[in-house]
Amino acid sequence: MDKIMFKLVRRLNLAKATAAAFMAITLALSGTYVLASSTSQFTQTINPGTLSTDIVDGSYAPVGSPSVSMDAVGFSFSCQTSTGSFGTATQQIYVKNPDAADSGWSLALAAQNATDVWDSAGTDFDFNDPTGSGCTDGADADNFGGQMTVDASGATLAAGACSSCATTNISKGASASFSQAVTDSITLLTAAAGSDDIGDWTLQGVSISQKIPAEQPAASDYDINLVLSVTAS
Amino acid sequence: MKIIRHRFWSFFVWPLAAVLLAFSAYFPFLSASAVEYGGIGGRPAYPRAENPRTESIFIHTLNPGTVQDEGVLLVNNSEEKKTLLVYAVDSVVSSGGAFACRQMSEPKEDVGAWIALEKEEVVLNPGANELVPFFINVPISASVGEHNGCIVIQEKKDAPTTEQAGVNLSFRTGLRVAVSIPGEITRQLEIVSFSREKQADGSIMLKPSVKNLGNVSVDADVKVVTKNLFGRTYLTQGGEFPVLRGQVSDWNFEVKKPFWGGWYRSKLTVEYESDVATEIGEHGDGPNTVLKGGTVSFFSFPKPLALAIEVALILLIIFGLFLWKLSIKRKRWIKNEWREGEAGAGDDIRSLAEKNGVSWRIIAKANRLKAPYTLKSGQKLKLPPRK
Repeated sequence: MDKIMFKLVRRLNLAKATAAAFMAITLALSGTYVLASSTSQFTQTINPGTLSTDIVDGSYAPVGSPSVSMDAVGFSFSCQTSTGSFGTATQQIYVKNPDAADSGWSLALAAQNATDVWDSAGTDFDFNDPTGSGCTDGADADNFGGQMTVDASGATLAAGACSSCATTNISKGASASFSQAVTDSITLLTAAAGSDDIGDWTLQGVSISQKIPAEQPAASDYDINLVLSVTAS
Repeated sequence: MKIIRHRFWSFFVWPLAAVLLAFSAYFPFLSASAVEYGGIGGRPAYPRAENPRTESIFIHTLNPGTVQDEGVLLVNNSEEKKTLLVYAVDSVVSSGGAFACRQMSEPKEDVGAWIALEKEEVVLNPGANELVPFFINVPISASVGEHNGCIVIQEKKDAPTTEQAGVNLSFRTGLRVAVSIPGEITRQLEIVSFSREKQADGSIMLKPSVKNLGNVSVDADVKVVTKNLFGRTYLTQGGEFPVLRGQVSDWNFEVKKPFWGGWYRSKLTVEYESDVATEIGEHGDGPNTVLKGGTVSFFSFPKPLALAIEVALILLIIFGLFLWKLSIKRKRWIKNEWREGEAGAGDDIRSLAEKNGVSWRIIAKANRLKAPYTLKSGQKLKLPPRK
């Protein structure tokens, strides 16, 4: 026994021995579950992924009450345009395709109802009346003028959390204006069949402009309900 | 030295290796805890093996008057319990010819009206899924060709107690339901236009536009190849996009401002399956139909750094050409005009050069003199002509 001890004292590399012990403990700890599996039954369900869209923050967590910022405008005797941006660094438009739409998809923005308007306690204004370049009432059944234009062509499309994903084969939508019964839905993105089957993407800086009719009363409570839809096609 | 190396391994490398191994063993557990967006949605419950596209959308060829059983698997991959609304709507052509679904509030006249779901509301716990059966009841009056609709999944949310000013957003996922009624099917596409548009940031937007002249949707393989002035492919863009019946589809392919700038030519080709016997997602045995579109050319100004490099290169080339021409001229001058002469007593190459008004290097080169260029009195030399 003394002989062995003497040999260890003379020969054993203490650093190597410490490292080996550390490795052994680490492997033993990480392998605990595997060793236990010989006598236990494990069940694991991987839920199928689904195509989805949302507004997320920089960490890809859904934003509870997303907002679309539009520049404030003052009362005017002439028709004016308010501009805004949809999709920012902290409120990114987000599409996730976890192998759910292998042959492509499209992302579009539409009003909850084509007969909707920018609603307020006072006088409303329209979002889809092309009459007079969006400045006057006429084309649809309501009595309000106003038209919204959405342009995704200048927006920034990027791969999301998926580091190996690319934006190739995804086309950004051109500028288009809502027009009741003619253009009720505006395309933001169209993904071809060749786009990544598994991936996620963010879109920032979709330009939005709204024509506001002349003499529209000042109010701070104008609101409209829009729906962002992603569709497997 | 050996001892130092031994101690280095003992005290630093081995413990470091152990620590790294420990981290690598735990890494899978660390990455699994990263933030991941879950989302809600659905997918076809009964995909058919012979048509992989049925994994993503519902595709059926049905005669008028028939009823088809189907199912949609609703999934809640979020971390919260969700109440999902599931409903059928007609399709709508979104701007640019893309496929989209109508809103729940809109009247249903086509496939949306043919679909009857067993449930319209499902409550799902986190990570749970549920199959909702439905059937497609094709009316006797359904016309030949393709009809489209959607099964839409949307989270049910309580109406806000107070209206929030601005844009109120809601989100939903649609699954296309394509029903083809057999008969005289036409599959035909034509290229409407191919144009370009310069963007404010200097990038170029290539805009192909294709029209479907048939009565079924066609998956068009749109390809735009951009080549530089030397015929080298700079960029290939496109992909396979559905072009809906009777509609014009257009796309925007962005060519980022090329660093070096220059002239570019982009060509459009559109390829599609013209076999009328195939349904969406299938490919026939025959060759595809290929349409060749026009060509657009564009010039892109180089980026500032590229411009500086390019100007410097051009100046360098011009200067090089100038030197080359000067060298030829000098050779001719030496050959045609220089005379035979000889070195006098006390002459060296510098004094000779000074006397003749030329650089001593030219004299050395013309006479193939090597360093240290010593001259002997009476040595025969080629010298510049007397002034």
